[in-house]
Amino acid sequence: MAVCIAVIAKENYPLYIRSVPVQNELKFHYTVHTSLDVVEEKISAVGKAMADQRELYLGLLYPTEDYKVYPSHMIIVYYTPVCIFFLLIENILLYRHTRYGYVTNSKVKFVIVVDSSNTSLRDNEIRSMFRKLHNSFTDVMCNPFYNPGDTIQSKAFDSMVSAMMVQAS
Amino acid sequence: MSRQSNRTTDSKKMNAELFTLTYGALVTQLCKDYENDEEVNKQLDKMGYNIGVRLIEDFLARSSVGRCQDFRETADVIAKVAFKMYLGITPSVTNWSPAGDEFSLILESNPLVDFVELPDNHSSLVYSNLLCGVLRGALEMVQMAVAVKFSQDTLRGDNVTEIRMKFIKRMEENLPAGDE
Repeated sequence: MAVCIAVIAKENYPLYIRSVPVQNELKFHYTVHTSLDVVEEKISAVGKAMADQRELYLGLLYPTEDYKVYPSHMIIVYYTPVCIFFLLIENILLYRHTRYGYVTNSKVKFVIVVDSSNTSLRDNEIRSMFRKLHNSFTDVMCNPFYNPGDTIQSKAFDSMVSAMMVQAS
Repeated sequence: MSRQSNRTTDSKKMNAELFTLTYGALVTQLCKDYENDEEVNKQLDKMGYNIGVRLIEDFLARSSVGRCQDFRETADVIAKVAFKMYLGITPSVTNWSPAGDEFSLILESNPLVDFVELPDNHSSLVYSNLLCGVLRGALEMVQMAVAVKFSQDTLRGDNVTEIRMKFIKRMEENLPAGDE
């Protein structure tokens, strides 16, 4: 159910952001950006604890939020009964977005935004998604033509991410 | 890769990634230095040649195969013994030309190109050209002049990697051309 996957570098700029459906891209960028604050907080909270594989996974970053998204108008408004009268009912989509975070030992962060309206993904599935992401990311790193700090343009990484997003929806 | 044969398989596996990364660093550095794919291909071939003329001694010492009677036998030895010994893969020998002087080695996997994706600005780079040089240099030391090139490459989108080897002539006993 991943609707957005982002890879963020140590210096907090994005190396890779992909979202499905594409028209809400800006909103997802914003969402991921705000999640970064939560990630930073969690990292500093852990403090001197030696990060093992379990602690790389940060879990749910933020309480679930409701957004009402109107594809035809691209406006984000909070759900109020009044709005129904103003917009076509068949265009109303209610998404609940949950964000999950994962940080590597080299301070590269992965953020997954999922739409949990259909089924709630179990923790294990999210963990395995992060593991796959991490593995693909290390493969990208090992590419001798990739300079650390560049945006990720690897086709293998793209196809892995697409598979993860498709498999859910 | 040339070491005494009492290493365990485990340590060979560890070194494979380091080997791949080292080769990758070598190719990218060459690209940065020469900035021209053709030039890099030539340099890789030259480097491979220098490796090959030395590697053949090690190979003959370790494998103790005798003199090959014809080119077919050479092809089999290269595929089944040499590649297995040094890269841990066994390519298949196919596509013999009617005259019997040209054949293809099909590699399902190429350990040099693990994790590698060629960027668009290096489309004419033959990444594993070192292998061509090695084969050419090694065979030259056993008095066989061959032409080696890649006809298919997984980095360019093909399914397999194919090396085409053509026998040119049997050489007289003389010293190799040497480094330029």
